[in-house]
Amino acid sequence: MSRKTTTAAVAACLTGVLALAACGGGGGFDSGADSGATQPTASGPVTLKFMITSNGPADVKLQQDTVKAWETKTGNKVEVIAASDINQQLTQGFAAGSPADVFFTDANVFPTYAKAGNMLAYGDQLDMKSDFYEGLVKTFTYDDKFYCAPKDFSTLALIINTDMWTKAGLTDADVPKTWADLETVSKKLTTGGVKGLVIGDTRDRVGAFMKQAGGWIANADQTQMTADTPENLAGLQEVQKLLASGSAAYPKSVDSGWGGEAIGKGKAAMTIEGNWIKGAVKNDFPDLKWKAFELPEGPQGKGTLSFTQCYGIASVSKNQAAAIDLVKYLSTAEPALALAKGLGVMPSLKSAADGYKAAFPDEAAFLAGAEYAQGPVTVAGMDPVLKDFDTQLQGLPGADPKAMLARLQKNGQAALS
Amino acid sequence: MSQATLTRKQTAYDPEAPAAAPPPNATRTAVLKALGYSALTVFALLYLFPFVIQIGTSFKTDPDATANPLNPIPSNFTTAAYQQLFQQDFGLWFTNSLVVALLVTAGRVFFDSLAGYALARLRFRGRGAVTLAVVATMAVPGVVLLIPKFLIIKQLGMYDTYSGMVLPLIADAAGVFIMKNFFESVPVSLEEAAKLDGAGVFRTFWSVVLPVAKPALITITIIAFQSSWNELPHFLVSRASPETNTLTTGVAGLLTGALGAGNRYPLKLAAAVLMTIPVALMFFVFQKRIISGSLEGAVKE
Amino acid sequence: MRRGGSARAAETRSGWLFVSPVIIVLGLFLVAPIVIAFWVSVSDWNGRGSPLSSGVSFVGAENYRQLLTEDSLTRSDFATSLRNNFYYVLLVVPIQTVLALALALLLNQRRLKGLSFFRTAYYFPSVTSSVAIASVFLFLFAGGGSVNALLGIFGIDGPQWFADPRGVLHIALGWVGIGNGADGPGPVALTSHDFLGLSWWDWLAGPSVAMLTIIALVIWVSAGGYMLLFLAGLQNVSSDVYEAAAIDGATRWRTLRSITLPLLRPTLFTVLTLGLIGTWQVFDQVYIMSKGNPGKTTLTPAFLSYDQSINNGQWGSGTAMSFVLFGIIVVFTAIQSLVLRDRDPGSRGRFGRRRAVQPVTPPNSMQPMGPTT
Repeated sequence: MSRKTTTAAVAACLTGVLALAACGGGGGFDSGADSGATQPTASGPVTLKFMITSNGPADVKLQQDTVKAWETKTGNKVEVIAASDINQQLTQGFAAGSPADVFFTDANVFPTYAKAGNMLAYGDQLDMKSDFYEGLVKTFTYDDKFYCAPKDFSTLALIINTDMWTKAGLTDADVPKTWADLETVSKKLTTGGVKGLVIGDTRDRVGAFMKQAGGWIANADQTQMTADTPENLAGLQEVQKLLASGSAAYPKSVDSGWGGEAIGKGKAAMTIEGNWIKGAVKNDFPDLKWKAFELPEGPQGKGTLSFTQCYGIASVSKNQAAAIDLVKYLSTAEPALALAKGLGVMPSLKSAADGYKAAFPDEAAFLAGAEYAQGPVTVAGMDPVLKDFDTQLQGLPGADPKAMLARLQKNGQAALS
Repeated sequence: MSQATLTRKQTAYDPEAPAAAPPPNATRTAVLKALGYSALTVFALLYLFPFVIQIGTSFKTDPDATANPLNPIPSNFTTAAYQQLFQQDFGLWFTNSLVVALLVTAGRVFFDSLAGYALARLRFRGRGAVTLAVVATMAVPGVVLLIPKFLIIKQLGMYDTYSGMVLPLIADAAGVFIMKNFFESVPVSLEEAAKLDGAGVFRTFWSVVLPVAKPALITITIIAFQSSWNELPHFLVSRASPETNTLTTGVAGLLTGALGAGNRYPLKLAAAVLMTIPVALMFFVFQKRIISGSLEGAVKE
Repeated sequence: MRRGGSARAAETRSGWLFVSPVIIVLGLFLVAPIVIAFWVSVSDWNGRGSPLSSGVSFVGAENYRQLLTEDSLTRSDFATSLRNNFYYVLLVVPIQTVLALALALLLNQRRLKGLSFFRTAYYFPSVTSSVAIASVFLFLFAGGGSVNALLGIFGIDGPQWFADPRGVLHIALGWVGIGNGADGPGPVALTSHDFLGLSWWDWLAGPSVAMLTIIALVIWVSAGGYMLLFLAGLQNVSSDVYEAAAIDGATRWRTLRSITLPLLRPTLFTVLTLGLIGTWQVFDQVYIMSKGNPGKTTLTPAFLSYDQSINNGQWGSGTAMSFVLFGIIVVFTAIQSLVLRDRDPGSRGRFGRRRAVQPVTPPNSMQPMGPTT
């Protein structure tokens, strides 16, 4: 028996196995991938898979309760799935041709999904399209198509620990209106183990200063990077100045995961966070007394950032009609307000703003920010570039902000082209 | 192998105490002994203390865990973390892990010994090549295959199913080799007697050879159970829905959870304690077998 | 004659039948993935539908070219991950090997009783899940965790382990006046040159403080498994050798250096090879504990390849990274075996055979050495 023949025999066997693998599930797959453009009609009751992100069982229950009325009305069922890593689970679902029918889509990943053809562009079929905030509609528009209904949104505000505030002899009149004010009160509030201000070390917090200085990462229609500008530099230098003064710090240097934890643990008197701080603080630090104010103005006026998610619908979903109907239902004032209230975020519908204001008079600062908030950068392939910028920002206390912006400019431009 | 044999063997082969050495000075021996024990104890502390902290902290409250990280004794003993775990899907994760680990173990024990026997004993065309191919697959770094494995599993339509979780793990090259090595050491006379009685190849394997292979079977049972119970990357790529979460993926999700979720150390450590128990039980029951298994080479010298 | 032939045929049939399940499983889930992955790495598949469907086209070595030659974020991330993993290997492999050997020698003493307890203690981490161990270490090394509390007793203000991206080599170089420590810019001579988009200065960062915690964890976990291999190797050494040495009046240290260690060489080879293969693939710990943070200093090629594919949808460059990593592992293993072999050209048949088999079994799988006949 020659070695050659046996090797060939094994090779043939393995090739056979391979062929098996290649033909195995091919059929189901291709048909799934091709059905993107078609719009299957839902006949009879269907079960929709609805993938959400959650901070715990309470969020899941809220979501389930909210869809109940729709289930009763249409006879369809909704299976709410709380993802542990939604991006990974969706990506694998897309590749397998079997993602959830409806899923939360963060603005950061939206362009990547849209570009790959994973999402159904159903936005124009929504009768409440004009009721969404324009900025949010723009965020979820890719290639001139409005893809998905904004679920809700949050903005950044200045969160103040009111006990520490009064203890430091400060009054409502001292609430900072400008960067200079912010520096002053941060200094006053800084004592032994407490930092006056703790802000997150990512673009999602630091970026607000860039906006207040009149800059931003990209131009309005996101065709050009505008990172390497004097305005952005001024914003970063202000943050650097605050950090260098010792009256401000990043969360990790006060042993906290984020600003909310720092203020909750009593390691910060102020922080810059969004609406989500409400729920988090209520759970983890029920004794904290806090109030939200609009962010102080920079040299170019007011500036804050907004964050949002939409209800994505899979382009390969077999139940698209039912899925759109579900989104339409969730985008009416009553369920939208119920969800927003439960999650602490703001409804994406302008018509629901009054209801929200009435329910949460203390959180007017967040809603006020909606008018001038800057949405996230939504360009396919930009996510790693922005994450890299975040990594750079972690070194802001010591490193050169000009170099960071130049790097962002270069990498971002590469992603745009 | 019993503890007694092990000790006896060590006596015979002890490199540190040459048998022909002159009777050592008693004080010197005592000092050396003390030094030896101190070194052993220092390392033992280093190895055991993290587990002590793990168990202690799992019975603490959140603030207590953060305030006294070094003291394993809870100031307010509570089982809240455990209750919270079972309110979530912990029971389901546990069941999934158990089902998968048992299926994988059963499969590996059977298929690995079958193949090991064939490669050790049966003379057939291509045996050398198969042996070589199996060795070669052991050299492939597993992590590199994560994504491609996902592609295959999904191509076969097994994605997010138990079969996709179990089948890829159901045979392993290392197990085949353990069995092959073992069968090579079994005297041929046993099988020849069976063959003369007219038994078929499988009958001979099943009722004559397998029963004498018990020690090796136990070894691969343990390896298979432990490695499938602890497997993480494969379950990250072979499944997605919450119903198919195993302990490793579920608990990893707890650890890397959302930003605002807070530290929740007792919860995470309680999860770690619970997922360690089955493997620990198995380890302590078969401990001697596991460790002496790896020392087996010595016995045959 | 005829009966003999049919028995032979029956044996061939059963032989193939017996090995076929293993061949199918390994073929499907090991060999086929390699082939598909290779196809993806030379295609433009974007993660939607099957990579074997008609819409996916062949792009040649484009993904590899982009990854290795194009000045991009992907390349500098990949370079960063290689740097991180290199320092990781550089620390983990020698330390875990020496620790394992030390533990094995400690446990191989006749005088001491109750050794099985210690053996169990050292080995136990090897059988527990990496997820469980990671959760313990996340607590131990938290900013306000056990390790810092312990350091606090000695008046040392411990770092924020998992949040500290400073490279230890940068810190050390700062002490001797090279560069401005970990936060400041490095010397111009080093920052003005780069390799794969990462400046020489950045290559010299060393493992970050955060990476050190992962390194500590892995050493702690895996030393026990290798200890068992060394113990087995020690028991393989015939007692005659020691008796002869004792008669010659050799001291303990000399016995260890000139007899025990040389005889342990095959085991050492196994331990080093397993260590190298395992450490270049570190994934679990990074996935659970850090996801590459802080400052990308715990990013490793295995994790980056996963992240690049799954989270960024860049499947082509993600799989290309896997193959580059595979190449690195092959090269390192080859170098290592050349170095170990060259020093001792004399071949030893029995161990030589064993080498071919052993280096490739997983380190913590409690593999018995197998009867050597």
